[in-house]
Amino acid sequence: MLYRTAGQFKTSYEADFALFPVKQDSILLAAVLVLAFVVFPLTANEFAFRALLIPVLIYALAALGLNILTGYAGQLSLGTGAFMGVGAYACYKLITIFPEMNLLVAIALSGFFSAAVGVAFGLPSLRIKGFYLAIATLAAQFFLVWLFEKWAWLYNYNASGAIQVPNIDMFGFTVAGPRAPAITQYYFVLIVVSIVTFFAINVTRGRIGRIWKSVRDMDIAAELVGINLMKAKLSAFFVSSYVVGVAGALFVFAWRGAAEPNLFDIPLSFRVLFIAIIGGLGSILGNFLGAILIVALPVVLGFLPDVFGVPISSSAVEHLNVMIIGALIVTFLIVEPHGLARFWAVIREKLIIWPFPH
Amino acid sequence: MKTLLKNALMAGALAAGTAFAAQAAMAQDSIYLPNLSYRTGPFASTGIPLMNGQRDYMMMLNERDGGVNGVKLGYDECETGYNTEKGVECYEKTKADAAITQPWSTGITLQVLPKTNVDKIPVLAPGYGFSPMADGKTFQWAFNPPASYWDGASMILKAISDGNLDNLEGKKIALLHLDHPYGKEPIPLFEAMAEKHGFTFLPIPVGLKEMQNQSAQWLQIRRERPDFVLMWGWGAMNAGAITEAAKTRYPMDQFIGIWWSSLDSDLKLVGEEGKGYRAISWNVPNSDSPVMQDIKKYVVDPGKSLINQGEGEFDWVFYQRGVMISMMLVEGIKAAQEEFDAKVPTPEQVRWGLENLNIDEAKLEELGMTGMLVPFKTSCADHTGHGGGWMLEWNGSKFEKVSDLITPDREAIAPLEAEKAKEYAEANAPWPVNDECKM
Repeated sequence: MLYRTAGQFKTSYEADFALFPVKQDSILLAAVLVLAFVVFPLTANEFAFRALLIPVLIYALAALGLNILTGYAGQLSLGTGAFMGVGAYACYKLITIFPEMNLLVAIALSGFFSAAVGVAFGLPSLRIKGFYLAIATLAAQFFLVWLFEKWAWLYNYNASGAIQVPNIDMFGFTVAGPRAPAITQYYFVLIVVSIVTFFAINVTRGRIGRIWKSVRDMDIAAELVGINLMKAKLSAFFVSSYVVGVAGALFVFAWRGAAEPNLFDIPLSFRVLFIAIIGGLGSILGNFLGAILIVALPVVLGFLPDVFGVPISSSAVEHLNVMIIGALIVTFLIVEPHGLARFWAVIREKLIIWPFPH
Repeated sequence: MKTLLKNALMAGALAAGTAFAAQAAMAQDSIYLPNLSYRTGPFASTGIPLMNGQRDYMMMLNERDGGVNGVKLGYDECETGYNTEKGVECYEKTKADAAITQPWSTGITLQVLPKTNVDKIPVLAPGYGFSPMADGKTFQWAFNPPASYWDGASMILKAISDGNLDNLEGKKIALLHLDHPYGKEPIPLFEAMAEKHGFTFLPIPVGLKEMQNQSAQWLQIRRERPDFVLMWGWGAMNAGAITEAAKTRYPMDQFIGIWWSSLDSDLKLVGEEGKGYRAISWNVPNSDSPVMQDIKKYVVDPGKSLINQGEGEFDWVFYQRGVMISMMLVEGIKAAQEEFDAKVPTPEQVRWGLENLNIDEAKLEELGMTGMLVPFKTSCADHTGHGGGWMLEWNGSKFEKVSDLITPDREAIAPLEAEKAKEYAEANAPWPVNDECKM
C-alpha cells in the first residue's frame, strides 16, 4: 500500500539506473534529510547534539569506511581505531602547523595520510586472507597506538601527551574548539558525512564497487575474469582508510575536543566493527542503523529509569545498560544474521507486495 | 561471587533509598552537586572508596544538620567508568543545574577544562588534574586543592633527600608511571629538578595494557638499580607494581608512591611483604575523629552507606580522602552562602567560595578533623593552596603517618607553573585571564 511500485514506469535507461528507482525510497530519504537538516537542529538541545546526534554521525562514518573494506571488498580489518587516530593526529598537525588552514580542507587532507598508512598495512592482503589478514591489521592497531604515545612531535611535545583542539573559525563561525556551539558542530559533521555518504553510495554501486564485490565473493574467479587483484584490494584499503581517517579527524575536532593516544586503542576498533556488523556488512544504510543501536541507544536507555521514576543508582544503570545492549545485539543477530540493513530490506519487500504474502 | 551479589543487591537497595531521598530533597532548597563517578570499569577499585567517602560525608551533613545552612546537598553521581566518552556525556547531562563539576579522570578534565570558561561551572579536581591549574588567574574555573602533582613530586624528593635536594647528587631515581596523561604529569618537574640537583632521572612507563603484568619494567629496574623508585600509578597498576616489587624483593623502603598509590587493598595483597612502602598523602585516616564517628553514627550504622564493611573500607586512606574532598566542596559552598547571603549559591558564587577557602587548624578542629588534612588556603591567584603532605608508611596491615608536614619547594615550581599556564592559554586562544585578581 505505502510502498506500491505499480505504475512507476521507467522510460529511459537513466531512470532505471537511478539511485532510487522506487519513488517512495526518495520520499523517505527526503524525509530523513529534512529531519536531520531542519527538525533536529530546531528541536535538539545541547545534550542531544553532543551525546546523541554528533557521535552517531561520526561513528556511522567510521563504520562506513570499514564497511567499504570489510563489507564490500571482503578484507577483514581490526585496525579501524588506529586509522581514525592517524586522521586525527594528521589533522591536528596540519592545523597547528598551518593555523590559517580551513578546517574542511585540513580534514579532507588528513584523510590522505590515513589512506597512505592504510595502503601500507593493506599490502599483506595481497598474500593473506581472512583471519590472517585480521592479525596483520591488528599489528597496525598496536603499532600505531604505540607510535601516538612515543612520537612526541605528533602531539607537539605536550607534557600530558594529549592533543587539544584550539578554537577554529570558518567563514565567521567557530566550528571546533571549546567555544564552538554544538549546533555549528552538528551542521559541520552532518555536511561532511552527507558528502562522503553520497560518494560512497555511488562508488559502491558503480564499476569499482562491483570489482570489490567480485573480489569479496571469490577472488580467484575475479582474477580469471581479468580483475587486477592488487589494484582492487589496495584501492579498497585506500578508500576505506580515507573515510575512516576523515571520521577520526571529525571524532576529535568536531566532537571530543581532546584526545589521548589510548582513545584510539582496540576497543574503538571493535566498537566500529560491531556497528558495521550489526548494521549489515555490504550496505551503506546499515552503518547508520548500527550506529544508532550501539551509540545512541545506551544514552537513551540511561534516561529511562529517571523518566519512569525508577530510583536506581547511576552505576547500576551502567551495568544494566551493558547487559541490555548485549542481549539486543544477540537477539538482532539471531533474528536477522545479515544485520539491521537486511532487516529493513525485508520489511520493505513485505510492504511492496502487501497485502499478498508472496 | 556470593558477596559480590550481596553487595550488588545492597547497592541497588541503598541506591533506591537515596534516590527517593534525593527526590524528596529536590522539593526543598537544595544545591545540585554532580560527581562523574567511576564505580565500574578498570579503575573501579580505586574509584569506589573515594566515591563512597564523598557521598557519605554529604549524607551525614544532610542527616545531622539538614544540609548546610538549611540547604540540602543534592549529591548525585553520573557513572563514567573512567571513560572519556561517557565523561563528556555526563558533563553535558549534568551541567545545566550543576553548581560544580568533578571530572575525576585526567582525560575528562582535559576535555572539560577549556569548556569551563564558556559554561561557567567550577571544576573541582582535588589532588589531580593539570598542575598549572594552580595559576588561578589563567585557570579561573579550575581548582586542585590542597596540592598538585608537581607539589607531590617536590615533596617526595624532599623526603628522600632529608630536606636538601643536593643530597641526591649522583643518585638514580626511577619514575614508574602510567603511560597516560596522568602518569606523565610530573615528568617536566622531575626533569627540571634532575638538571638542577645533579641526579639521574629515569622514567619507566607502564602501558595501560601492561598494568597487571609489569615484569618487563621490573626487569629494567633490577638492571638499572635505581636508588629510589617513585610511582605514579592508578587502578590495577598499583597492585601490579607492589606485588611485582614484593616478588623481586625490591627494598620497600626505596619505593615511594604518590597519593593515588596508597590504596589499602593493594597493599593488603602483599601484607607483611609490603612493609616499609611509603606514599605521600595530604590526608591521614583517623577513624576515631569526631567527623568519622558522626559518619558512622548517621550513615554507616543505619545501613545507608555503600561501603564494604567486611574489608574495613571505613578505615581506608581513600575512603577518608573522599570525606575530605566533600568537605572542601562544602566549605566552598558555605563561604559562598555567607559572602553573597544566598541560600543556594550559583556556580559563579561557588567559584568565589572555592577561591576563598581557608582550611586552617582551627577550622579542621571545628569540623572534627584535626590532623586529617593538611591546612591550606586558596586565593584568586592560587587555586591549589599548596598545603603539603605527610609520608604514610605501610606497616603490614595499615598506613601510618611517619613524617612531619612536608611542604613543596614552591620557589622551584612556581616559574614552571607560570610558563606552562601561559603556554596553555596561548594554545587555546582566545583564553580569558582574570585581570581583576591583583595578587
